[in-house]
Amino acid sequence: MKSKINIYFIEFAINAILRQKYKSLFIAVVFVLLTFLLTSVFFITNSIKYELNSTLDSLPEILIQKTKAQRHDDINVAEVDKILAIEGVSDANARVWGYYYFENIGVYFSIVGVERFENQYKNSLSKIVDTYELDDAKNPSMVIGSGVQKSMQKSYYKEYFNFIKSDGTLKKVSIAGVFDADTNLESNDMIVMSKETAREIFHMPESSATDIVVKVANPNEVATVLAKLKLLYPESRIITKNDLKVSYQNIFNYKSGLFLALFVISLFTFFIIIYDKVSGLSSEEKREVGILKALGWRVDDILVEKFYESFLISFFSYSIGVGLAMAFVYIFQAPLLRDIFIGYSELKPSFELPFVLDVQTLFLVFFLSVPIYIAATLIPSWRIATLDADEVMR
Amino acid sequence: MIELKNITKLYALSKVDEVRALDDVSLTVKEGEVVVLKGASGSGKSTILSLIAALSKPTSGEVVVDGKKVSKLSDNFASIFRRDSIGFIFQKYNLIPSLSVRENILLPLVPLNPHAKDAQKKLSEVMEIFHITHKADTLVKNLSGGEQQRVAIARANVNNPKIILADEPTANLDEKLSLSFIEILRELKSLNKTIIIATHDPLFFNLDFVTREIAMHNGTLQL
Ligand SMILES: Nc1ncnc2c1ncn2[C@@H]1O[C@H](COP(=O)(O)OP(=O)(O)OP(=O)(O)O)[C@@H](O)[C@H]1O
Ligand SMILES: [Mg+2]
Repeated sequence: MKSKINIYFIEFAINAILRQKYKSLFIAVVFVLLTFLLTSVFFITNSIKYELNSTLDSLPEILIQKTKAQRHDDINVAEVDKILAIEGVSDANARVWGYYYFENIGVYFSIVGVERFENQYKNSLSKIVDTYELDDAKNPSMVIGSGVQKSMQKSYYKEYFNFIKSDGTLKKVSIAGVFDADTNLESNDMIVMSKETAREIFHMPESSATDIVVKVANPNEVATVLAKLKLLYPESRIITKNDLKVSYQNIFNYKSGLFLALFVISLFTFFIIIYDKVSGLSSEEKREVGILKALGWRVDDILVEKFYESFLISFFSYSIGVGLAMAFVYIFQAPLLRDIFIGYSELKPSFELPFVLDVQTLFLVFFLSVPIYIAATLIPSWRIATLDADEVMR
Repeated sequence: MIELKNITKLYALSKVDEVRALDDVSLTVKEGEVVVLKGASGSGKSTILSLIAALSKPTSGEVVVDGKKVSKLSDNFASIFRRDSIGFIFQKYNLIPSLSVRENILLPLVPLNPHAKDAQKKLSEVMEIFHITHKADTLVKNLSGGEQQRVAIARANVNNPKIILADEPTANLDEKLSLSFIEILRELKSLNKTIIIATHDPLFFNLDFVTREIAMHNGTLQL
């Protein structure tokens, strides 16, 4: 046995593909479409999953919201000290934040208040506090996400913005900068300003906060701390990071599940189409197999040639499909498809699908398409090649 | 040496109906002989050729070529046997129309994965002998009938086989081209090839270099 690859087979295979123009083109188009769709959806879901997880990871372990008649109510800042006294709690912060409805465009932004000499509960915020001086009472300023910047620019606010307070008066806040935060998903629609300015816009007294976030040093202690907090605040809503994670992922998995079902259907259709195309080898192809056998090709030789033929066309189509999917998802940000996965109401507004080099997806799609196609073409060729070749004499 | 021993070949037409294509045929062809098999359509000429080439198996009896029982070869070894020993010229040429002359002639060598130089040498040789060099890169579908036949002959000879089998080689040729084909056969005979031609073309009758003419009728030899 020679170990050298027989390039004559490869040449013959390429020739055979080009020879059957329409059949090859049809198969390539179907194949490209399928791998494109499969890969796109996997890329999008992975990208969003990655985004979600990094967003959720940056959340505090425990969140305490005071409720009144089952609705959210402001909490007293003084509670922070009581919480800090609980064993296992490493830090607690009173947050001032809320949504601001930007009428001109019809979208919500979230405003987050920070205070210079406080521990920040998120890295991104610490960076902002270190870089910008937001708490100048005479000239209040803010740092905004890129999505916010875009919206404000559309309304010709480039250096400052006039917030409408709940009493109807205006609050002018200048734009100190645009930030890049830990992740896109949370930063895009965010506005960071001093707590004082935020309270003024939300009409909130100095003694109140929106909620309190609690850090627990040891993740094993979360349950114990949670139990103590529940005793302390039986009326409040206490949410752990895990709860959030689970509920986000549920929404997400539900959608990907729907897609999975769609896939099984499209995959199935694909193989029916392909099987139909290849299993009915044309009489011309049958004759060709007969000629080759009469000329001394063994069944193996014919199968090797057919293998190259199907590998070349399927791998070529796979590569094109994957390439298109990459461009579609990461360059064009997956128009249409992404909206299916990111409902406006469930997550935040526009964000970029981050590029996650996802080798697993590439392998998965490869194994779902290329080898199956090759098998689907080899089996009928094998059946014909093993028949008596004297047909060519007739 | 080619020996057919008591060959019977049946083709099933349906579950109950069958054709007796060959009926107890025995024949010996010595090395270097040129044999013409003649007879009406359906008399079994092609069937004999396909059995010698191990393209099909006899229902009973034995085909022996150079001491090798080719009627007992597995499919794989039958292919290798053809590759090494048989050059086949078909009535319909059986070329691949969308390949060039060069690519068609190369086909029998492909499974051998020859060095480019060796392949080139063999190709040039046969293309020269059969006067088709000037069309080497032309697609076969753009050739005339006579040129296609020369390509088929070149292809049958590229692996330098000892046995040439020709099935109605002049059926699609005019008289002039048929006569030049006969001259080619004469050359092949001078190369000491064993040649069997199945034909009902009278041009092949009473040729000086043909060692034997055998008439066939309904699956039997008229000796
Ligand atoms: N694959 C097959 N299946 C069924 N019948 C066959 C098959 N091959 C040959 N036959 C039959 O066997 C008989 C002999 O056929 P064969 O092709 O050997 O004749 P032939 O002498 O070559 O005829 P022709 O001059 O028309 O080529 C014919 O009756 C033919 O119909
Ligand atoms: Mg015949």
